[in-house]
This record gives sequence, C-alpha cells and structure tokens, in this order.
Amino acid sequence: MLENIKVSPGPHISKHISTRTVMIDVIIGLFPAMLAACYFFRFDAVRLIATCVLSCMATELACTLIRKKKSSLDDFSAMITGIILALSLPASLPTWAAIIGSVFCIAISKMVFGGLGANVFNPAMVGRAFMAACFGTLMTIWTVPATIDQSMPKLSPQGIVAKTMLSSEETVQAITTATPLSWVKDSLKKKVPAVDIYNKQLKAMCLGERAGCLGETSTIAIIIGGIYLLIRKTITYHIPLAVIVGAFAFALIGHMISPDTFVNPVVHLAAGGLMLCAFFIATDPVTSPMTHKGMWLFGVGVGMFIMLIRTFGAYPEGVMYAVLLMNSLTPLIDRLFKLVPAGGKNA
Amino acid sequence: MAKALTFPGGIHPAEHKELTENCAIEPGPLPRQLYVLLSQHLGAICKPLVAKRDKVSIGQKIGQSEAFVSAPIHSPVNGTVKDIALVSHPVIGREMAIIIEVDPQDTQIQLPDMSKISPDFDETKYDPDHICTLINNAGVVGMGGAGFPTRVKISPNPQMPLDTIIINACECEPYITCDYRMMLEWTDKIIAGVKLIKRATKCEKVFIAIEDNKPKALELFAKRLKESKNCQDFQLCAVKTKYPQGGEKQLICSVLKKDVPDGGIPPMIGVLVCNVATAAAITDAVVQEKPLTHRVVTVSGGGINKVGNFYCAIGTTAGDLIDFCGGLNDKAVKILMGGPMMGFAIADLSTPLTKTSGAITILTKKEIGNAKYENRQTPCIRCGRCIEACPININPTKIAHAVKNDMLENAKQYNMMSCIECGCCSYVCPANIELTGYIKTGKILEARRKKLMPE
Repeated sequence: MLENIKVSPGPHISKHISTRTVMIDVIIGLFPAMLAACYFFRFDAVRLIATCVLSCMATELACTLIRKKKSSLDDFSAMITGIILALSLPASLPTWAAIIGSVFCIAISKMVFGGLGANVFNPAMVGRAFMAACFGTLMTIWTVPATIDQSMPKLSPQGIVAKTMLSSEETVQAITTATPLSWVKDSLKKKVPAVDIYNKQLKAMCLGERAGCLGETSTIAIIIGGIYLLIRKTITYHIPLAVIVGAFAFALIGHMISPDTFVNPVVHLAAGGLMLCAFFIATDPVTSPMTHKGMWLFGVGVGMFIMLIRTFGAYPEGVMYAVLLMNSLTPLIDRLFKLVPAGGKNA
Repeated sequence: MAKALTFPGGIHPAEHKELTENCAIEPGPLPRQLYVLLSQHLGAICKPLVAKRDKVSIGQKIGQSEAFVSAPIHSPVNGTVKDIALVSHPVIGREMAIIIEVDPQDTQIQLPDMSKISPDFDETKYDPDHICTLINNAGVVGMGGAGFPTRVKISPNPQMPLDTIIINACECEPYITCDYRMMLEWTDKIIAGVKLIKRATKCEKVFIAIEDNKPKALELFAKRLKESKNCQDFQLCAVKTKYPQGGEKQLICSVLKKDVPDGGIPPMIGVLVCNVATAAAITDAVVQEKPLTHRVVTVSGGGINKVGNFYCAIGTTAGDLIDFCGGLNDKAVKILMGGPMMGFAIADLSTPLTKTSGAITILTKKEIGNAKYENRQTPCIRCGRCIEACPININPTKIAHAVKNDMLENAKQYNMMSCIECGCCSYVCPANIELTGYIKTGKILEARRKKLMPE
C-alpha cells in the first residue's frame, strides 16, 4: 500500500492552472482579433498567421533539439509569439519575409536567452523590429481591407479624392494606401490642417475598416479579447489601463496645445497597434515588471513612448520601440519598487 | 453583521470541510503502544523523567526541560515504559520518544467530561499566577500548529505588556474541522478557557475571530457569550473566509488593522493570539488539573475509507489512526500530518501524533492535481501571481531563485526570513514551482550557517 505514497514539501494542493492554461487563454483572447484580420484581409491574413505560427513553433522545436532539451512546444508560448508577430505585419508581406522574421523572433530573442521566462525583450516585437530594419519597404506597404468597395474614392492626407484606375475588382483584393497614423504624421510634418478628416475616421477605426497591420484594424475585436483575459484573470488591469491612460494623457496635451495639428486623443487610442499593445504585447508577463507599482510605471512609460514616437519620431507608429524600450527598463523597475514585508520599515 | 474583516493577499483553496464538518467528535483508537515524542513544541527539547521498564500512570509527567521556553510532556495512559528511542517526527525528521506499552486493562478512550464546566464558570476564584503555574504544569502549547508554550505567552512580561487577546477560531486550512467541532460541542469549555486567559493576562479587550464559512459556530458563540458570566465585553468578529486567515499576523491585521513588526512577535504590539483548542486545554489544565495528553484530530481526504473527528491520545501513530479509520484505499497517494497547505507529508506510518497535529489528511492524485503529483515544474514566467497571493508582501520567486542558486545573502535581501511558509505562492504558481519549499530550504540553510541547527 505504501509504495504509492509520495513525500514533498507543502503545500500539497494547487490551483488548477498551469503555464499552458495561461497561454491557451491568451490564444483564445487573440481569436477576435484574428477573426477580424481574416475578415478584413481574407487569404493574406490566413497565410501570414499560419506562416508565422508554424515557423515560430518549428524554430522553437529546432532550438530545443539542438540544445538537447525537452521540447517546450507544449506550453504554447511560441504559438502566441507567432500570432502576435503575424498581427503586427502588413497584409501584403511576402511569406518568405514572415518566415525569416519568425525564425529571428524565436531563435535570437527567446531561445538564445534560455527559452520561456528568460528573454529580456518581447520576442514578437524583436522580430518585428528586425523585419522593419531589413525589409523597410515591404513593411510599409499597406493595403485597404478587402471589405471596402475598391471603386470607392480614397482619402489621402491632402484630402484629395482619388478615383482608382482599376477596371476589374476581381483581380485585386485591396489597394495600397496609407494608414490613418501615417496621415496623422504627414499632417504633422506638412502642417496641413486636415486633422478633422482623421477625427471623422474614428468609427471606421473602431470597427476595422482601415488600412494597417493585420491586428491593428479592429479595435473592438482587440478590446473584446482583452476583456476576456481580464475576466479570466490571465492579466491584471494595471498594464492595459496604464498604457491607455499614459497614451491618452500625452495625446491630450498635444491636442490641447494645438487642436489643428494634433488629432483627438481618442483617435490615437484607436489607431495603430495601441490596443493590441495594451492588452496583448505589453502584458507579456516575462518582459514586464512583477509588482503592481512597477506595472503602472511600465504601462505609462509604454504609453508615453508610443506618443513621443508618433508625434516626434521618424515613424508613424511607436508601439514596437516603446515596448522594447520599456522591456529594457523592466529589471530596473523591479529593483525600484522593492516590496516591503507587512510590518516592515514603511508600515 | 458587519462586513467580514480581512487582510491583503491570500488565496481561496477548495475547502472540502463538508467531508467531516458534521462528524461529531468520537473517541479515537487506543493502540497497544504509544510513542510520546520529547519534542512537541517550539523550544527546548524535554529530558525524559522515566527510565525503561518504569510504570507510568495517566497524567504522570514523563519529560521536562529546565529551559523557560519549553513545555513538559505527560503520559496519556497507564502503562510501562518499553523504551526511549528515536522515532519519526512529522516536522524535524527523527527525535527521541518515550515508548509506552499501554496497560492491557485500558481498552478505550473516554471523551472528556463536560459536565463540570457551565456557562456560570467563575474564573475569579483562580489567582492569575496560579493559572500560569497550572498551565505550565499541564504542558499546554499552542495547538494550532506552531506549538509555542502557552505559559511563555501568557506570563506577564514587563517589556511587552499585553492588552488584547484574539481567540483564533478561523481554522482556515482546508479539510480540517477539529476546531470547528470543538466550537460546536465544547463551547462552554472554550469560553471558560478564554476567561482564564483574560484573568491571567489582565487584558482588557478580547476578540473571538471566526471565519464566516462557519455560521453555526458564529451563532452559537454569540448566544453563549450572552448567557455566560463575565464575558459580556468579549467581541465576536466574523472574518472573511480566506487562507491563511488563521495565521497569527494575518488575523491581527484583519481584526485590529495593525501589523506585527517584521521579524517580531504579537506581544510587541500588546496582542496575544490563542487557538480555540488551546483555550479548551487551558480549562482542563486549570479546572481539572488535567495535563494536555489528548487532542481532537480530523481524519479526512479522499484516500481513506472512514473520515471523522477523533479524540486521540498524543503518541498514537498515524498508522494506528488510519487502521482505525478502515485503512487507506487504492487512490491514496499522500499522507499528511496536518492539512494540505501547511501539513507535512510523511512516509512512515509509525510517525506519532503530537500536541500540534490537528489532522491526518490522506490525499488522492485527483485532489493533488497531476502537475503537483508528478512534480512537473516549468520555468518561471514572472507573472507575479505569487506576489499577489503573498499575505506578507514579499517576492517568493526571487527568493526561490536565489536559494536555488545558493545565494543566501540575496535571498535574505528579498526578506526570506519574513516568510510565514503559508504556501500561497506555491498554490497559485502556474509554473508549479515549489516556491515555499525553496524558501523553507533557504531558511534551514541559513539556520545551519548560523549553527542554530545541526548539519
């Protein structure tokens, strides 16, 4: 009878959660955004998500084989990296570029550091930064969602109405255009007082009928996924709220100084990858601080850097670099907020 | 009733109290041999006062220490000392025990006589110093788990005057119901014990804290406190059902909204915390001059055939009690002295019960969970759940990493020594890392380094 008996340190029961269930929750949370991407970009979205997920998982498997370690695929973290990377790519990106980016994501920014839990930077964002550096042009070709009637007039920064020259809609799925944020940028640079046009785009941005990365289009889909994660307690509200509040505050400052040059802060919140970042990228537990105070500082920092890059930087969108910058500060933030035990010095 | 009081952090494990909460206290087994350990409390280990082949009688003092922080031990039965030898100890590995062969005429255990204690119990006829002496003679220790000698707690200490007593009736540990049953069945005895503590310590404020998952006990105590003499000013508090609500520091934080200084003890802020079982033992010690030789033990879990709350002689082995309950079933995979959160897993069924053993819990693989059973640990993903769950606000994962890498200094900087070892961090960890286990190891390494503990 006693041969089955085990001994171990207490506690002897545990909550029914594991790294895998946490990761599966994140994947479920990403589903609305993936579905929206598939709806707006059709085959391109399916192609990129599948490519990124498969190549990320294959790279992780290869790395564990090389290191002669047990495969870590069953924690599904590589899958999440693949999905997030895909959602931050433009729909027209060729498959080979997505594969190279995915391999870089996992091999260089995750497995080299020692795998899950040891990486300093968010793997998906490192991969995207690498691709932005290598395939600059490919990464900035934006396509209009396939759901928009292609014969519709296109908006551009100057407010010029351009009629498309295409005769047959069947041959093309979508047409290259600029993202709302690049218009905002152009309007800043050229000082064209055309902000009200973009302010009017808000509804389309929330629903997703705009150009951009796969996962940037439908803000509502991302928020639905984010709320799911919050309800499941997979993430806490601290980082998402801090990112949103931080970005909103800095956008508001600009808007109040000059409402003609700086767009409505709400447009900034709905634009680009901000919501995806707030709920899915910045909340990556591995690369964000562990304490609640640290999470607040981290989130506000991300929000601030996003707005600084969008407003003053060379890029129209700043999510990627904002997250990477704050990732690098995470160890310092964790040191800054030392926990004081109950009844300790400050009590 | 006002909103239930609580503390920051903590967890809500499945309680499983329904298994035994309706099982009235029954007499336990009386085995043919008892193994009375010489160390059943915090402090100096007792020296045996008897030798091999000596006759001992019920209640006879058989072990004692000269040290102040210690408590004597007594024989629970009439019998003969068979040997004094090393036996398994639930906490510290192996320790000397007096092995008593029970007199063949003693065949069963009698439940304590409750008739002598009435709601009109008058504690004023006992002199405070005399109460302390009687408690010391009876070897009463904190029966909630730590086993701190009660005499040391209640003896007046001019440096740390006491003004508040909190009676710990939380029983936050899953599965265990021994205190709950005592509260329902031995209410007057517990209240008498509280009155005696109040008399001995001259404290003004008395709080009785019961978790709000025990409405019957709350109701009964409210009624009895009204009926009893000299206890109109006792305050009954409903505290929130949350683990580790019954932790001394957490309970003080819940009830008084005060923190015990880090590394300190409750008397530093004038508080004495006492478990209900201890209060009942104090009544026995003072009124009947009966030493602490028996206690109520919950036997529970999915791995045993019969569950219940049993009044057992201290020194009964886990095996005796398990046999009495119909033995283990096929699903049993872990035998615990204590509850599933803070209990100790034992591999040796000859491990005897001590004054602090409130339960024997036999868990099945299903109750433990597969990952925990297979000890499947994955890398830390830094999610911070352990920090959120920690009732004393330390960073368990940092300490665990430091201990793992043999960096004790680092671990101490992260306040390793403040840890109360409640197990909340390990419970919530999605990577299933034995955080509490690492911290316990770190504390042992530190004690060895300081030569407080043998290698």
